[in-house]
Amino acid sequence: MKHFTKLAIAAALGTVMGTATVAQELYTPNLAYRTGPFAATGIPLMNGQADYMTLLNERDGGIGGAKIDFEECETGYSTEKGVECYEKTKGKAIVTQPWSTGITLQVLPKTNVDQIPILAPGYGFSPMADGKVFQWAFNVPSGYWDAADMIVQYLEQDGSLEGKKIAFLHLDHPYGKEPLPLLEKLAGEKGFELLPIPVGLKEMQNQSAQWLQIRRERPDNVVMWGWGAMNAGAITEAVKTKYPMENFIGVWWAGHDADLKLVGDDGKGYKSISWSFPNQDAPVMKELKERVFDAGLSQSNAEEMQGVFYGRGVVMSMILSEAIQGAQKNFGTTEIDASQLRWGLENLNITEERLEELGMAGMVPPFSTSCANHTGHSGGWMLEWDGSKFVKASDLLKPNTDSYADLIASAASEYATANAPWAMNEECSATN
Amino acid sequence: MLNDIFIAPFVDMFTAPDFLMQVLWEGLVSGILYALIALGFVLIFRSSRIFNFAQGIMVVFAALTLVGLFAMGIPAWISVGLTLVVMFVLAVAIERVVLRPLVGQPDIILFMATIGITLFLIGFGETIFGGENKVMITEELGIPTGDTVLEPFGGLLILQHLDITVVVVATLLVLGLLAFLNYTQMGRAIRALGDDHQAALSVGISLQTIWVLVWFIAGIIALVTGIAWGARAGVSFALEVIAYKALPVLMLGGLESITGAIVGGLMIGILEKLFEIYWGQPLLGGNTETWFAFVLALIVLLFRPQGLFGERIIERV
Repeated sequence: MKHFTKLAIAAALGTVMGTATVAQELYTPNLAYRTGPFAATGIPLMNGQADYMTLLNERDGGIGGAKIDFEECETGYSTEKGVECYEKTKGKAIVTQPWSTGITLQVLPKTNVDQIPILAPGYGFSPMADGKVFQWAFNVPSGYWDAADMIVQYLEQDGSLEGKKIAFLHLDHPYGKEPLPLLEKLAGEKGFELLPIPVGLKEMQNQSAQWLQIRRERPDNVVMWGWGAMNAGAITEAVKTKYPMENFIGVWWAGHDADLKLVGDDGKGYKSISWSFPNQDAPVMKELKERVFDAGLSQSNAEEMQGVFYGRGVVMSMILSEAIQGAQKNFGTTEIDASQLRWGLENLNITEERLEELGMAGMVPPFSTSCANHTGHSGGWMLEWDGSKFVKASDLLKPNTDSYADLIASAASEYATANAPWAMNEECSATN
Repeated sequence: MLNDIFIAPFVDMFTAPDFLMQVLWEGLVSGILYALIALGFVLIFRSSRIFNFAQGIMVVFAALTLVGLFAMGIPAWISVGLTLVVMFVLAVAIERVVLRPLVGQPDIILFMATIGITLFLIGFGETIFGGENKVMITEELGIPTGDTVLEPFGGLLILQHLDITVVVVATLLVLGLLAFLNYTQMGRAIRALGDDHQAALSVGISLQTIWVLVWFIAGIIALVTGIAWGARAGVSFALEVIAYKALPVLMLGGLESITGAIVGGLMIGILEKLFEIYWGQPLLGGNTETWFAFVLALIVLLFRPQGLFGERIIERV
C-alpha cells in the first residue's frame, strides 16, 4: 500500500511538473539541413540560429520566461523530407521554418489551412510579401525580388544598362528561377539583355559548359543565384576562365566565406548583396562566444562564427524572438500560440535603437512589417570579398518596391486563384 | 530551324576553332573523370556482380579522410598514404562484415547492402569530418596550379595545369589498371571471376581476397577522383552527386567492360559538352548535360542492350 501511495504521489507530481514544463516552452522547429549536397552552406546558418536561441535560454531563461525548444528536423534540403518534417512538427509548432524555396512552396498551401506561420527569412516565394493574400507567410527582412532590384540598382551606379548584357547564372531549381519574373521586367524597362544560364544539380561542381557560354557571350556582368556547391563551382570556374571578378555579383546565399576561401586572393572583387553583415564588434557576438561557444553549447567553430552565414543565422533567430516577444506583450501571455505569433511577425518593428539594445547594431538594416507587408523590404549592403573576408562595398541599398508592387500583387493574386479556395486576410487593406 | 540545327553549329565551329578546341578540351577532362568513376563500378561488378551504389560516397569519404588527416598536422603525402590504409581497412571491413555473410544471396540483396554502406559512410563521415566544405590540399600535394594560355588560329585556349595533371594522372591510372588486370596473377584472377565465377572458384581463386582487392582498387580510384574534383570546387558531400554521372557511362559502355568504361566516359564527356554548347544553349536554353548522356545511352541500348562493349548474354532455355 505504501508503495502504491508513493507511486501515486510521484505520478501526480510528474503530471503537474510535466504540464508546467510544457506550458513554459515555445516549440519553434527548424527544418534544417546539416547533411547532403547543401550541408556546407546550411551548417553555419543552422549553427547561428541555434546558438542565438541557446543564448536566450541560458541568459534570459528563454523569451518572457518560456524556454525555447528549437528542435531541428533534418531535411537534407530534400523537398519530400521537408514536407515530412512539417507534418511531423506541425502538431505543437507555433512556427515553421522550411529553409528551402522548394519546401516553402510545398508547405505554403498547407500552412494556410493549418494556420501556422511560415518564417522564411530572405528566401521563399517573393509574392509572399503580399500579406493580405499570404496571411501566414513571412519572408522578412528582404525577398528575392528585392535582391534582384538592388543588384540592378547597384549596376546602374556605373551608368545606364541600356544595351548591356547580363548573364543570370542560376540553380535549375525553384529557388534559382525565383527572381526571373522581376529580372525580365527590369530588362524590358532598362533595355539590357538578360541571358539566363541554368545549372543542374548534377552539374554544380562541373560548370565548364556554363562558363564556356559566358566566355562566348561576353556578358558585361554575371548575376548568380547559386546555392550549396554551385557557388564554389561557379567561383572557381570564373577564376579559371579569367572572368573579371568585379563584374560578378551573387545573391545573399552566394556570399559564403568558405566558398570564397577556395580561391582566396583570386576571388578579390566578387560581390554579394546581403541583408546581414557579420559585425564582429557587435556585443551579441561577444556574448555568443562567452555564454554559448566557450560553454561548449555550440556546434560552431571560431572561424565559422566570423562568417557571413553564421551572423545571418543569428539575425534570423533574433527576428523570430522579437516576434515572439511582441506577441507575448500584446496578448499578455507567455505561452503564445501560432495565430498570436502571426500577429507578432506582422507587427515587427526593428529600429536602430532596438538593434542597439539587442547588441546587434550594423548586423541587419532596420525594418518593420504590417498586415500588408510581410517582407519588410529592409534593403541590404553590397559586400565584397577582399581576399580573406567579406567587407561592405556600398551604403545601404533600398529596393524600389513601388516599381514592382503591381507584379507582387498580380503574382499573389494568380497564386490565390490557382489554389482556390484560398483564405485571405480580408480585414487588411493594401495601405495597412 | 533546320539552319540552327544542321548548319549554324558547324559554322560556329569553323569560324571559332579556338573555342571548339576549348570545348573539346573541357569535354576530355570531364570524360576522363567520368571514365575513372565508371571504372570503380565496373571492377566491382565484374568480380562480384554487385552494382556498387557506394562508389560516390567512397569518393567523398576518401577526399575527406585526406583533408582531415592533413588538418591534423600530418604531411600531405603521408596523409595520402594513410588515406590509402583507411581505404584498405574499409575494403576489408566491407568484405568481412557486409559481403561475406551475404554470399549466395540474390544480386538485389547485395545491391541493397551497398546502399546500406552508402548510408553508413554518410553518417560516419559527417560525424567524423562534419558537413562543411573543405579546401583540397592541392598545393601541398605539389599539384600545379595556374594555367597555360595558347593562341591557336589567333584565338584563345586556356589549359589549366590542374586539368592537365588530372588528364595525365587519370590516364596513367587507367593504363596501370589495364596492365595490372592483364599481366599480373591477381589481375587475371579478377578477370577470371568476372568471366566465370564457378570455374574461377574451382581452380582455387579466393573470392574473399579478390573482393578485398577490388574494393581497395575502387578506393584508390575514389581517392584520385576525390582529389581531382575536390581541387576544382572543394571537398563536401556534394561530391557524391558526381558519381551519378557515371551511370550513363555504364549504360553506354557496358557494366562489365573496362574498355567500355573508358570509351563511354570519353564519349559522354566530349559529346555532352559539344551538344550543350552548339545545340543545347542556343536552341534549348541550356542545361542539357543533365539528360543528354542518358538519352545517348538509351539510344545505344535500343540497338545494343548490353552496351557498346558489354558481353552479349545468351542463356539456354
